[in-house]
Parts: sequence; C-alpha cells; structure tokens
Amino acid sequence: MKNLFDRRDQRPIHPFWVMVQKEISDQIRSWRYLILLGIVVLTCIGSLYTAMMSIRDAVATDETLKSFVFLKLFTVSDPEGTLPPFITFIGFLGPLLGIGLGFDAVNSERNRGTLSRIMAQPIHRDYVINAKFTALLIVISISIFALGFLVMGMGLLAIGIPPTPEEFLRILFFLILSIFYIAFWLNLAILFSVRFRQPATSALASIAVWLFFSVFYSMIVRVIAKAMYPAQATTAGEILSYQKFIQVLFRFSPSQLFSEATTTLLTPSVRTLGPLTMEQIYGAIPSPLPLGQSLILIWPHWTGLIAATMICFAISYVWFMRQEIRSR
Amino acid sequence: MNMMRKKRMALMLALILGMTVLSPSFVRAAGPLSLYTPYTNIAVTPGESIHYSIDVINNSTDVQSPELSVEGLPEGWEYQLTSGGWSIKEISVLPDESRSVSLDVEVPLKVDRGTYSFRVTAGSAVLPLTVRVTEQGTYKTELTTEQPNMEGHADSSFNYEATIKNRTADEQLYALRAEAPRGWDVRFEADGKTVTSVKVEANADKDIDVEITPPEQVKKGTYQIPITASTSSTSAETTLEVVITGTYDLELTTPNGLLSTDITAGGEKNLTLEVRNTGSADLRDIQLRADTPVNWEVTFEPKTINKLAAGNSTEVTATIKADGEAIAGDYVVNMSATTPEASSDAQFRVTVETSLLWGWFGILIILAVIGGVYYLFRTYGRR
Repeated sequence: MKNLFDRRDQRPIHPFWVMVQKEISDQIRSWRYLILLGIVVLTCIGSLYTAMMSIRDAVATDETLKSFVFLKLFTVSDPEGTLPPFITFIGFLGPLLGIGLGFDAVNSERNRGTLSRIMAQPIHRDYVINAKFTALLIVISISIFALGFLVMGMGLLAIGIPPTPEEFLRILFFLILSIFYIAFWLNLAILFSVRFRQPATSALASIAVWLFFSVFYSMIVRVIAKAMYPAQATTAGEILSYQKFIQVLFRFSPSQLFSEATTTLLTPSVRTLGPLTMEQIYGAIPSPLPLGQSLILIWPHWTGLIAATMICFAISYVWFMRQEIRSR
Repeated sequence: MNMMRKKRMALMLALILGMTVLSPSFVRAAGPLSLYTPYTNIAVTPGESIHYSIDVINNSTDVQSPELSVEGLPEGWEYQLTSGGWSIKEISVLPDESRSVSLDVEVPLKVDRGTYSFRVTAGSAVLPLTVRVTEQGTYKTELTTEQPNMEGHADSSFNYEATIKNRTADEQLYALRAEAPRGWDVRFEADGKTVTSVKVEANADKDIDVEITPPEQVKKGTYQIPITASTSSTSAETTLEVVITGTYDLELTTPNGLLSTDITAGGEKNLTLEVRNTGSADLRDIQLRADTPVNWEVTFEPKTINKLAAGNSTEVTATIKADGEAIAGDYVVNMSATTPEASSDAQFRVTVETSLLWGWFGILIILAVIGGVYYLFRTYGRR
C-alpha cells in the first residue's frame, strides 16, 4: 500500500474510496484471484456446455416449463451427470472464491507491518476493515456479474432463444443472491483473518467451516433424522412436524439456504419448499409461479443470508476495533 | 197412309209426354221402343257425376233407329251419351232386342239444393229421370289438415300436412301465407319444393307441407298460427297449433366473463357471479354450490335463487376464503348452479399469493441487523 494517497486525477477522492481502489487493484492483479476465478470460469463454462448439449432433451420432456427455456441453461445437466449444473457450481465454488479472497485480509497486513503504517495516516481506524470488505465485495460482484452475463451471452449464441423479461430478472436476482452468499463466506474469512494471526490458520478454519457445511453437515443432520424418526407415529401431523423439524435443521446451513433459493428462482414451477400435504395439493394447478411470488417464497432465505453476512461482519468489526495494533 | 200414321203417332207422343210428367209409371206404355234404367231417382252432392245405364228396347218387329236426346237438363249441367265406347246420337236396335246406352251427367259445383228432372228420349220413348241435389252447392276452396296440433321443444321444428281442395269451377293459383308471430319461420312445401303459391285445378286437391320453426327464445306455451290459401276470388283458412314445451338451461359466469382471480393465502375475496336462465322456462330454487380445495370456503349471497324467469339473469356474490396453509400458485375452484332441471359449472382459476406479513418481518430483521452494525460504527468507529 505504497501509493495510498497517489492522486492520479485532480479531483480529491475521499480517503476511504482511495483505500477501496487500492485494495481492488491489489486483488485483481494477484495470482490468487486469477487462479480462483479461472477455476470458477472453467467449471461454469463446462457446465454450460453440458447444459447446451442436453437442453434439447430437457425442453422436450418438460412441457410445463417450455416457456422458461433460457433458465434451463443454468439448471440443466446432462443425463449421465458428468458435470453438475451451473447453480451447483456457484453454490460449491462460490464460497471458495469468497474464502480465498478474504482469509488473509487483515492478518497478512498485520504480519507485514503495513497495518500500523496505514494507521499512521490521518484516517479513521475502521476505514481499513470497511474498505477491505467493500473492495472484496465489489470484486466478487464484478466477477459474478461478468460470469452470469457471459453464460447468458454464450447461451444466447448457442440456443438462439432470447430470455423473456421475467427470465432475465430471475437470472439477475439469482446473481444478486449469489453475491450475498459469497459475501457471507467472505465475511466469515475476514472474521477468521481478524481472529487468527496466521493466514494459514484462518484459511484452514474457513475451509473447515466450508467443508463442514458442504459435506458433513448434511450427513450429521441425516444421522439425527434417522435417530429421531418417529417409528410409532400415528398421525400425519407427527410425520409432518418431524419433516419440518429436519428441514429447519438443514436450513442452518448457508449452502442449503442458497441451493433452495436458487432452485426456486430458476425453476418457476417450484411452488413450495416444505413438505406438502394432500390438502394443499388438492385443486392446485401445476403452473409456474410469478417472479414476485417466487421472491416472497424465498424471502426468509434472503433474510437469513443477509443477516448472517452482516452478523459476521459486525463480529469481525468489533474484534478488529478492539485489537491492538503494534508496529513490529 | 204412312204419313197419317206418323202424324198420329206424334200426337200420341205429345200426349204421352204430357202425361209422363204427371205420372212416370206411364212410361212403359206399349210402343215400338221403350227405355229402361233401374235408378230413376238419385240423390247426389254438387260436383258429382252420375252414370246411368239405359236400355233401349225394341218392342216392334222392325229395326228401330231412334235419335237419342236429353232434354230438360238445367243450365250448367253437362251430359254425354256413349255406347260401345263411342259418343252417339242415334242407336239402332234389332227387333225384340235391347241395347245399352251410357249417360253421364255431371252435376255442377255451383248448384242449388233441390230436385231436378230431365228426360231422355229415343224416338217416341221417353225416360224421365230425377236428380235430388242434397246439398247446397258451393263455389269455394277448402284448406284442411288432419293433425292441426303438435308439441315439441323450442329447438325442434314442426311439420304439418295440409290439403287444399279447389271446389271452384276454375283452376286457381293460391298464394300461401301464415300469420305467425314475430320470429317464427313458416315454410310451405309442395312436391318437395319450398313454395309460396300453388296451382290447383278445378275440383282437385293438393297436399302441401307446412314446416314451422319457432324462434330461439320462444317461451313455453301454446301458439296459434293461422295459415291461408287465397286468390283474388276465393280463400280458405285453417289454424295450426304449436305447443312448446319449455327447455331448461342455465349458465353460470361472471359479468365480464373473466374466470380467474387472485387471493392472499388465508384471505377473502368477493366475486360477482352472474346466473343466466338461457332456457325457455322459468327456473326455481337454483342452488349455488362450490367445489373447493381442502379447507377453503365459498359462501354465496344469496345462497338460493328462488325464481329466475326465462331469459333473465341475476347477480350473486361469492366470497372465497382461502386456506391459510395454501401454497402460492394456481388453484381450481369449481362453482355450480343447479336446479333439478338444469345445472351449470364455472371453473375459477384462483391465484394464491403469499401473505406479505412474514416478508415485512424479514425486512425488520435485516433492519435490526443494519441498526446493530450502525451502532457498532458509532461506538467503535470514530476513535
């Protein structure tokens, strides 16, 4: 952060945005970002390729959703399952992007001794962590939007069917949701980078949490579900409440929230996420939901993700502000 | 001598002739010829033709060839004398033999009731004949139908058979008309073709078919339809009767025809329905019912329509109450209006929308978190 106050243009920029700009340029030029983005781009293009190969069959078999062909680019994979669909990749590799960008946000500066030098400047102390978070969020947003529009553009070229306004809005909301989801992992990584002095420790801790929620959490919930299964259940209500309880357990995982929300957004025929009773199905017409209703359906998921992101940020903020900054 | 004898005979004949009017039994007085027919006094109706078979008997020993004539026929009556397939004026009869002569007399249509006499003469023989016309002769047209009454639904057509009898002396061209109420369609058919007039020869009959189609919105009841066949000089009329049995039909819809609505889960929605009686008979006690998804309620105001006249419509307010557990999206609600006679269904597509209450709750949570972060900024940020 040598050229912190190097003003290239004549207009004075607020010091906070100078820090944000610097952070963005540092990140974009780093090998780490390029590698991470490269992995995401390659896998996403791969999934797009398989989607385009199998979209013809998918459209033919699913009559009810034929008006939402474009969304299938993001949700369809080939029947053999060689490559998962786009949304699965974002759900799986997005956290890695967030963690990769954020795990050494604070502690590397601290270890290199640059933190105390920044603090020597006449700026507020919380500018450091706020600028880090803002800059990383901007980088992630740009990456995700670029990726999303890249897929849309290539899909447009390949299948030749333009998206309807509703499809476009659904994809837009999906991208925003992805940004929130990655922002959560970013904040978690920043939190660990504030907490742990060593970048390796914070990286390991972040990846451990990520692995826990992506791989082990569902196993644990299944074990709990098996243990709690009401073998003597007599009424449908008992089974129903059991199912709902298991679902609530699942939803503690951010990846579960994200996958449910994206499925609802990109598959308009999804009308509910909980277990369905016969009473609810009777008289229902299998028709796609309007976008507004889909958004209301997953609004709790949005709330949960945004709140979790902000809580992580708040904790790391408090920790950072309470920490002593010594020069080496 | 011969001349003298002839003169005497003529005198005798005149005497006999004068006496025959007074006493017909005197006919077969001895003479060289006599005439015989069994039916000398016949009763007929106007327009009939009478066939007499008259035997001309030769009493003498010579061949007789008398001149045959019919005298005293009233004006307008026509006759013809034939024998052996020929129209004849004279006939020859061998001695002591007889010959048969046919006399056809046509009684005209226009003839007064009464007794008419005329004579057939063959030389000196005279046969007086009497015809009694038992009816007053007419000069008119008759229009009759065997089955003037028919019953059917409003959407069926009615076929009547009528006969025009021309009881006039001339050929007539009849114009056919029907005095049907507005909206009724009456067609006349003769020989398989739709016609407006028919030609009927004098004293002949003509069968015509009358096809009556009632209007669509015809009401139940009995309708009289007079039909006339008329020319400038004569006309005839008869009345056909159509009995329409009522049809029952019912339609349930909305005033603007829109059969979809939206509703918030757990909320209520008022719908205006329209019940139309599209039949031709009044409907009574129309019950309104709804077939809903589970835990939904539909109430109607009014629940029953006491009477709905044919062709009329009335509005009913339906209040749909959705189940609080209903999932977002489309549901089908079937509503029906039924009477024992007819029923109608309307399928409503009800779009359920999730209540926004929990959405606001989520926004509140996010606002609380933002507030917390802001508090942290204020507490720690600006040291």
